[in-house]
Formats: sequence, structure tokens, C-alpha cells
Amino acid sequence: MTAQNKIDFATAKSELAAIAGKSGALVSGVASAGAFDDAPEGYRPADILPHAKSVLVVGGAQPRAGDWQSPNYQHMEVTTTSDRMQTLALKMARFIEDRFSYYAVAVPAGVDRGQQPFMSISMAADLAGCGSKSLAGPVLHPEFGFMYYGAIITTMPLPADKPLDPPACPAPECVRMYEAEGTTPCLNTCPAKAGGCLDGRIEDGRFTERQYDATRCATRVQNYWVPGFQKVLGATLQEPDAEKQKMMLFSSMFSRTLWSMTYSNVAQGQCAECMRVCPVGYEYRTKN
Amino acid sequence: MGFYFVDPETYNKYKDEILEMSHAVQVNFQEHLPADKRQPGYSDKQIAEKLGLELKVVREIRCVAERDKYPLDEFEEAIRFKEKACLDYSVKGMSAVMEKYVKESKK
Repeated sequence: MTAQNKIDFATAKSELAAIAGKSGALVSGVASAGAFDDAPEGYRPADILPHAKSVLVVGGAQPRAGDWQSPNYQHMEVTTTSDRMQTLALKMARFIEDRFSYYAVAVPAGVDRGQQPFMSISMAADLAGCGSKSLAGPVLHPEFGFMYYGAIITTMPLPADKPLDPPACPAPECVRMYEAEGTTPCLNTCPAKAGGCLDGRIEDGRFTERQYDATRCATRVQNYWVPGFQKVLGATLQEPDAEKQKMMLFSSMFSRTLWSMTYSNVAQGQCAECMRVCPVGYEYRTKN
Repeated sequence: MGFYFVDPETYNKYKDEILEMSHAVQVNFQEHLPADKRQPGYSDKQIAEKLGLELKVVREIRCVAERDKYPLDEFEEAIRFKEKACLDYSVKGMSAVMEKYVKESKK
């Protein structure tokens, strides 16, 4: 343990980054705990850890190139690797407390009673310069593209990084595509005007007029999960015909939903079609 | 009954308004937009203050409305959507949407 008054925080930050890297993170960064003004009251770092000074973010564990190539969309639902970053966040929190004697809490994955994340890890990743929010929603790293993130809130006053400038989205390819065709890969794949989740424009190299239907996205991302379970259960309970009710209970939809909930310890992302076509990090998703 | 839920009458009265004010459908949400253009949506607490309701009432209505908005059919449609998009990509790769723009970047 290092005495608090002997800590060089810039050196400590480098040490934390090195440990995160050795433990599987591709990126790490720090956001100031005071920079979360945009987060709703009750969902800021100090709401989880009083006197929080910094939020350390780690990112990595993307699906492999082969995962993206699979023709079976259900494949990635059960091979999600997001829990690796959550595990790393827990490890980093413990390291901060043991090595530097500051409080540290890994932001829990999952949601609270209001179905909201305890703190937005994507906002933390954006503020820490580990990536930037995309038109489609997920935070993209400019080199690696889509990845998973974990966040650690600490009372340790680490030097803060800044959001990326320019942001990773829109990629130059998307700007060119938008200029030529009036759309981008993600908008083209999941257009709100045709029953999808996304809409938006690109102006002066930045996306604007963005629309995102989070409730429709939930029907896709949480297709065979808690929302799907609630919908099917509701329909099944209302079915007066016992034979039909049996068909619904034993249906592939309901059974698959139950299996998915069994597989999952925290959450599952069951739709990644907007990310599958994203050019950011494309080279890492392409092999022979 | 032994747990808190909102009565259907209150739910039906406020569900559309609360959903529209919430983050359920995000329009011009992003931080880089100028303040006069940005519409970041309201938190449950802010909605409660604007509508003069209790926070727990707003939270409950929003949670139910988010699930209620789209029928079960939409979940079945999601399966069709993902099957097609995933299969298209596995066959065509990026050419399904934008390979020529990626190639231009590599020149």
C-alpha cells in the first residue's frame, strides 16, 4: 500500500493503464467525476460513491472477427464478452483500494428498479476519451470500433482525459456514403422510416438530427430476454384455450427466451446489426 | 396486492406524455449540438416535477409504457430482421452496404 501523500497521480494512472492492458483491456482512460453534469441526478459517480473524484474506464473484449461472420445471428447472443470488462473493472477497483488506499467501486452492470443503468458507462467512456458515441448509439473507439467497457468510480484524484476530437463517428467512409446516397451503413440497416430504430443526418462532418427509438431497439436487443419474456407470458396468460396455451408456452420463442435468460448472468445484447456494418474498426473484424 | 404498481387509469392518462418526455425516443440527444438545438430528454425526476406527480409514479408509468409501446409482433419481426441482416452480411460482407467507400479510404 502506498501512503496517499506520496502518490504521484500521473504515475499511478500509468500504472493502472499498464495493469488494465496486461489484463486484457485495449484502452483505458479517466473522466473527472465532476464531468457528469449531463447525467440525471441520482445517476452520477458521487451517487454511487460519495466524494468520488475520478472514473477509470477500461475497454476491450470485442466479439472476434469470426463472430461477426457467422450467418447465425443467435450466435453472438450467447458469446457476448462484455462480462470480461466487468470482471476487469472489479479487479481494478480492488487494486486501487489495496495499492493506493482510496475507495473504488466497479459500476455494476445491469439496471436499477427504474430500468436505468446505475451510471452511464458509455458516458464515462466518452468523457474519458476511450471512444465516442456513435449515430447508432454504442461508443466506438476510432481504431478498434465497437467494444465493451467497464468503469470504476474512485475517490482517487487521477488526472482526467478529454473526449476524443474528432470523434470516431461518423467515419470518413460514412461521410462519403452519406454525401453520395443520403444514408450511412447503420441508418441503411436499421432505418426508423422502415420499422427500424435510427434516423439522422450528417452535416459538416458531424451527425445531427439523430433519432433513436430505444423502445424499438429493446425489441431487437432484448428480443429473447426479459422484455420478450414479459410479452409472451402476458399473451400466454390471456389465452383461454388450454391447447393453444400449451403451444405458446412450449413455443420456440418462449423456450429460447428462457434459455437466453439462463445463459445470462447480467445482460445480453441480442442485436448488433448496426455495428456489424460499421466501418470503424472494420479491419479488426476482417480475416481470411 | 403486496407490491407497488400504478393503477391503469393513471397509467393511461399519462403514459404517452411521459414516454414522449423520457429518453425512450431520443431526438437530437447528442452533447455536441448547440444548446438551442439539443433535446436531451427528461429524467423521471424532471418529468415528475413538470407534471406534478410523484417520482415513483412517473418511474412506474415509464417502465410499463416502454414495454407496452410495441406489441409482441414486433419481437417476432425482430427475429426476421436479424436473420436477414446477419445472413446478408455473411454472404456479401461490407459490400452489402458500403464496401466501395471502405476501398476508397484505403487508396
